[in-house]
Amino acid sequence: MNIIYIIVFSLMAIGSVLTFIRFVKGPRSADRAVALDTLSIILTSAMVLLALIFDRYIYIDVALIYAVLGFVGIIVIARFIEKAL
Amino acid sequence: MIAVIIIIIMAVLLLAAAIYSVIHRDLLFAVLGTGIVSLILSLFFYLLQAPDVALTEAAIGIALTTIIFIITIRNTTRDEDEIIDKENEKL
Repeated sequence: MNIIYIIVFSLMAIGSVLTFIRFVKGPRSADRAVALDTLSIILTSAMVLLALIFDRYIYIDVALIYAVLGFVGIIVIARFIEKAL
Repeated sequence: MIAVIIIIIMAVLLLAAAIYSVIHRDLLFAVLGTGIVSLILSLFFYLLQAPDVALTEAAIGIALTTIIFIITIRNTTRDEDEIIDKENEKL
């Protein structure tokens, strides 16, 4: 594996762990919702990079579906938090 | 070697999110924990060379389950202790 991939995936793992710590600690609802959204974006970009490594372009579809539907889920959670659903 | 370490970190995060989702008393936060479980599980299906399963898990896990649970919490109550207190009052 190339050295640049090792660096990028290590940074993604550290970011995931820090985001999860914020998810567990976060005192309010908005902190946890933003933590879920951040983790979703980090793992979506990891899926795109893995599609590049595996050299199969059908794998990008998973990241595409996840990006579109994760947006819908986060919007529903945000509307619930502001009591407007 | 580094790939194994990263996969172990992700598995630990999956387990921690599942335990958090089970033991937390606020139902909205439990639903958010379920979203994280679904997210990391989708990544594992992806790494096991099953992109169609990962696609289905992503579509159902983050969108359908979350939205249905949020609508249910809106129509009932959010705090689980409140539900238990009401049940005890009935008895």
